[in-house]
Amino acid sequence: MSHLIPIANEMNATSTLPVQPGVLVAKRHHFLVRWSHWLNVPILLGLILGGISIYWASPVYQHEPNPNTGTFDVAADIGIWICAHVPGLHHYSSPPDWIYNHMSLGPGMLAIALRLHWLCAYLFMLNGMVYLAGLVMGGGWRSLLPRRTDLFDVPRMVRYYIGFLFAKLTRRKWLHPRFNTKYNALQRAAYFSVPVAGFFSVATGWAIHKPMQLYWLAALFGGYNAARVWHFWLMWVFILFVVPHVVLVFADGWDTLRGMIVGWSTKVERPEVAANER
Amino acid sequence: MNDEKKGNSLQPEDTPSTGIRPEQEMAELPKAGPENAKHSVPTAMKSFEAGEAIKQQVGTDGLPPLSADHKPRPDEVVSCIAVKSVSGKKPQGFFKEPSPPAMEMAPRVLRYRTRRDVLLFGAGAVATLAGVGFLLPQSTLSRLGVRRNMDSPGKEWFLNKALRIDDDVAEALYSGNRTVRTYTKSQITPLKNNYNGVTPDPGYISEWNLSLDGLASGLRISLDIRNLTTHFSVHEQITRLVCVEGWSAIAWWAGLRFDDLLRAYPPMSQAKWARVESSVNLDTSGNPDPYFMSLDLATASHAQTLLATHFNGQPLTVDHGAPLRLLVPVKLGLKNVKAITKITYAAEEPGDYWATRGYSRYDGI
Repeated sequence: MSHLIPIANEMNATSTLPVQPGVLVAKRHHFLVRWSHWLNVPILLGLILGGISIYWASPVYQHEPNPNTGTFDVAADIGIWICAHVPGLHHYSSPPDWIYNHMSLGPGMLAIALRLHWLCAYLFMLNGMVYLAGLVMGGGWRSLLPRRTDLFDVPRMVRYYIGFLFAKLTRRKWLHPRFNTKYNALQRAAYFSVPVAGFFSVATGWAIHKPMQLYWLAALFGGYNAARVWHFWLMWVFILFVVPHVVLVFADGWDTLRGMIVGWSTKVERPEVAANER
Repeated sequence: MNDEKKGNSLQPEDTPSTGIRPEQEMAELPKAGPENAKHSVPTAMKSFEAGEAIKQQVGTDGLPPLSADHKPRPDEVVSCIAVKSVSGKKPQGFFKEPSPPAMEMAPRVLRYRTRRDVLLFGAGAVATLAGVGFLLPQSTLSRLGVRRNMDSPGKEWFLNKALRIDDDVAEALYSGNRTVRTYTKSQITPLKNNYNGVTPDPGYISEWNLSLDGLASGLRISLDIRNLTTHFSVHEQITRLVCVEGWSAIAWWAGLRFDDLLRAYPPMSQAKWARVESSVNLDTSGNPDPYFMSLDLATASHAQTLLATHFNGQPLTVDHGAPLRLLVPVKLGLKNVKAITKITYAAEEPGDYWATRGYSRYDGI
């Protein structure tokens, strides 16, 4: 920590220089939590891109072949619909592949998709363990535990977000519900659900990957085919989490983002801190 | 430091104490005035890197080393604080969320750390992007607008390495004594013809033979279907066939056990593998495209590994690999070779049709 020496020297040696006032900071996230948080970005991206390419080989949602388009895959139908209705896409070369060309490695790439998916899956499991280690070592797990009051506080937060835009547009005052914990109840519910979803993604993944040797695991999810459906929808939990997560972090500002990169936050507004300062 | 040790014995670890109980701090540091008591506790710095750095600094500055009997004057401590604790509460229960210790930090320290970690983060992001470019298939990259050819032998090597780890895991999970789940006739589901290329013309069936090579006897043996159906006991099972593509089907199979064939015509002693081949396989344009795959003998001798002659109570149709196909439910469907014409035993792992096309070669499920 040699970088601190000059600062301390300066402060030690020169009482004549004006001493800058300190900034109040709080440690926000353990470094293992921060690392694993960011590593999740490429890993999850690889898992989803590869996963949808695997899905292409045998879509879960199929119907009798459509006599007009010849497709049987709901994802292909959605691609056709998008190309027919979104301006600028009317001349897209292969509408049934639109989804796979934009949300996966591409159609017809099962072999490489499987290899990437498994590579990322092992990394995801390792990363999950790093995350848990960081939660335990930093004590952050306590902030994620749901509590009884969340039953009332989550709807309050949802109400806040629903009314937020309307209040902005009509220039009305719209107060953020007060809380004195690290996360508000909705954040807590989300941040608690994601590791749980990660755990179930891994479990259903193993159930699909080794349905014979791990038959009991597939049976827990209702058998091999049901485990595939679970696995598919668990992917959507991540997607549906990430979108508002990213939007809200940017809306909340640099301090929150810095909390996950550097680990410190200058938002220290705890009542007891205020009391100490006065 | 004496004070530090005392402080630690009084406080739980990582719970810096200040301001909350000034009387106690003052008891430890009698010289400290009430306004100093808030900051002057060395314990407060204990758990923070910066605090440790200050201690180092004190040492390197030529001040006397901090021995057990050295008691720093309060003003001396205050003067060199870059990070100091301001609040922090003891957790009230094991599951209770503690309020995180807030502390005062010199703006320079915060700026320095922010700059350092953001730069580190940026470097990590660039490295990740490079890794993604390295690992993603070329066709995906070209769709993303990457013109350069990023294919490299390193990519293949790396992905294959990852695949072999998965194969090792699959092999570790496998147990020769464990049988796969069997189903009842009411649970049978339709099984589509998944010939990769054109389904062969049934003409081959009348002249069909199974040849065995790599036997202990050193002979090459040719068996016709009558041989195989009359000299071996028939076993039936209703098991699930799982395709690498993700679909699966529950079907009723009957045939002889591969294990019985191994006993009747033992392979050479050093053999560990079987190469199972179908020479009647065709590619998508209808040209001959022999299909071959590797099967370890441990899996071949599994009680549920059949050389099937019947499907759903009827002799196999061309769609399902008449007159003899491999049924190995502990492997993916692509190992379940249809219309087998030749089995060769070998000591070394033989080639595999799908492994050369980028798939796994173990394929244990």
